[in-house]
Amino acid sequence: MTIVQEREDLLAELGGQNKATIGAVLGTGSIAKATERADGTMEATIRIPEDAMVWEPAVLILPHAGTLELTIINDDKNTHACLLPSNGDKQFISLVNHSKGSATLELDGPGCYWYGSPAGNDEGRGLTAAIVVTGEVPPEAKLDRPAQPRP
Amino acid sequence: MTLEYVDAGKAFNHGQLSQLPHSAPDVTRGIDYERILRARDESQNWITYYGDYDGKRHSLLDQVNAENAKDLKVAWIFQASATGMIASTSTYAFEACPLIVDGVMFVTGWDGWLWALDAKTGEQLWRYKHAIPIDVTLCCANVNRGCAVANGKVYMVTQNAQLVALDATNGRKIWQKTIGDVRAGESASIAPLVIKDMLITGSAGGEYGVRGHIDAWDLETGEQRWRTYTVPKPGEPGSETWPADGEAWQRGGGNHWVTGTYDPELNLYYAGTGNPAPDFDGAVREGDNLYTDSVVALDVDTGEIKWHYQFTPHDLWDYDSTMEMTLFERDGKKLLAHFDKNGYMFVLDRTNGELQHVTPFVDRIDWGVITRDGKVTPRKYPDKEGEPCHFFPGPAGAKEWTHASYNPEHDLFYVPVADVGATATRRRREFKEGMPYWGAAVEVDVDNMAGSVSAFDSHGEEKWRYRLNNMPMAASTLSTAGNVVFAGTPTGEFLALHAETGEKLWSFQCGSGHHSSPSTYTVDGKQYIAVPVGWGGWLEGIVPGMSGQGHGAALIVFSL
Repeated sequence: MTIVQEREDLLAELGGQNKATIGAVLGTGSIAKATERADGTMEATIRIPEDAMVWEPAVLILPHAGTLELTIINDDKNTHACLLPSNGDKQFISLVNHSKGSATLELDGPGCYWYGSPAGNDEGRGLTAAIVVTGEVPPEAKLDRPAQPRP
Repeated sequence: MTLEYVDAGKAFNHGQLSQLPHSAPDVTRGIDYERILRARDESQNWITYYGDYDGKRHSLLDQVNAENAKDLKVAWIFQASATGMIASTSTYAFEACPLIVDGVMFVTGWDGWLWALDAKTGEQLWRYKHAIPIDVTLCCANVNRGCAVANGKVYMVTQNAQLVALDATNGRKIWQKTIGDVRAGESASIAPLVIKDMLITGSAGGEYGVRGHIDAWDLETGEQRWRTYTVPKPGEPGSETWPADGEAWQRGGGNHWVTGTYDPELNLYYAGTGNPAPDFDGAVREGDNLYTDSVVALDVDTGEIKWHYQFTPHDLWDYDSTMEMTLFERDGKKLLAHFDKNGYMFVLDRTNGELQHVTPFVDRIDWGVITRDGKVTPRKYPDKEGEPCHFFPGPAGAKEWTHASYNPEHDLFYVPVADVGATATRRRREFKEGMPYWGAAVEVDVDNMAGSVSAFDSHGEEKWRYRLNNMPMAASTLSTAGNVVFAGTPTGEFLALHAETGEKLWSFQCGSGHHSSPSTYTVDGKQYIAVPVGWGGWLEGIVPGMSGQGHGAALIVFSL
């Protein structure tokens, strides 16, 4: 049985390359929230640390749907890539060793999106992470009925 | 010492790493209401979901005919890809009906895809990919049934309940509207229909206890023109068919998730509605539960319900009535035919909803009886908590959403028939938003299945039947003036049948099961038949014995 105090230790075992299993287990890494700008767009940074084969944060939370300006950093000593969800087409960027780029994404909300590195040898490993859009749909898109109980 | 980062630049559209030209001729610019009114006359094209407003799925093309259909060959194949994690991975399917306009094909896929293809060569011209959350609530698969075209644009809904208008020449988004609440369990899979200067859509999610609705949107701006709920509020007409003191209407279902048909002279849009919620537990929603399992005839300008006819009052078997309402004429009368999940064919006077006659169209029906004059007597239904009840047809129905076609020359409907039973055991649960709200444990029969393409005249008399080998039909049929009926099977055969006899003229093994709507067109005088092939969908309901068959993701086009 897991007790609460063990949770962080156990997560650390799951959240990296060649630890509990070969790659980091999905959803076990760090979590961060995007910053909202005055104009309603959002910004955040995602990063591949050295020899980790993960994205940091593993879960990026957006406060609402809309436009996200991402800074993307590869601090690893290997070449990776990033294929991100966005309305219209997926957004692709190649990330050679020690490189930095950016992406602009448009995402609906609420909902959970996944992205990863489509480079050879990366797929299926820990380089898969989530962008989680929180919030509600616009008021005009809600059903005309009293508030309902939720789980 | 800090090393400067190598500049990786800015992420760009993945489609740039391809040979796509990212452009298409401006073929939808000239498509408007007037042209769609005469859609069947421009038989070289297929410019609206059913090929015409009347829902007949009948083409006047006859270059491919009963004599030469045996010579059909593959003209080209478009292979779509399904990579990475997507919502409802195990149930995605290729359910669309391709539209064709002057040599350009527009076809939608699962997970937010829309492709523009050269209809002669299959070359991909441009593509659009809407980002779909992996956790979006979908009942019962990651699917889309098609798009609409007009005024230089292409329109489609997305699985996460968005409506998008795209530039038909390059796939770039012009506007987007949120048309449903994904937290409530709403989604969208319907092919929009252009009527006048509006788009008509409906919602999906009846298995989650939403309140169904039909909407009209401005073609140019996306502004909402009207919304009509298919479950009335207390005090509204029809509300007397719901418990007076309860909350059942708030979660009543009745979703419009398959495109309706339209009579321009009557100005009526005929919308089929889905099951009430919870599907199998009727005790929490006593009454007939209008307007679930019905056809509602809406004034297309206002959304007002002018008349309705309910095919399964107080449904306890999940017998949606969303599938097509085929408009036809007989003896000078304006009629509507509907093949319902409940196993019966209904013919109505479409001016007022008056029933003409009812006829069973599947061999095994034991849930209840509907007499020829429409009297409904339920016989078997999940009633007592925990007590299994087996019934025919199962919840996927004697005909699922996939469409019949109608050849007016022969007065014959070509119906994809499914003959599969199921067991439902009532298991009451309290309602929680976004959670499945069935009210039963359901198991569809894995064996003892049957199915056919069956031809019925408009009086309900069966004229011929092409039997499948112990398998239900799960794809739309296509009728042509060449005296050929096209139909795809769950095991992958694409069939050409003789329209008057049902004789098999030709078949091609497509490598995956069929769960879509084929269409036909010509380019440079040559006739083509296009069929999306990609097995999937609510297979545990339709044909659970084929749910491990595997997926496909191709569009195959045939010609002589």
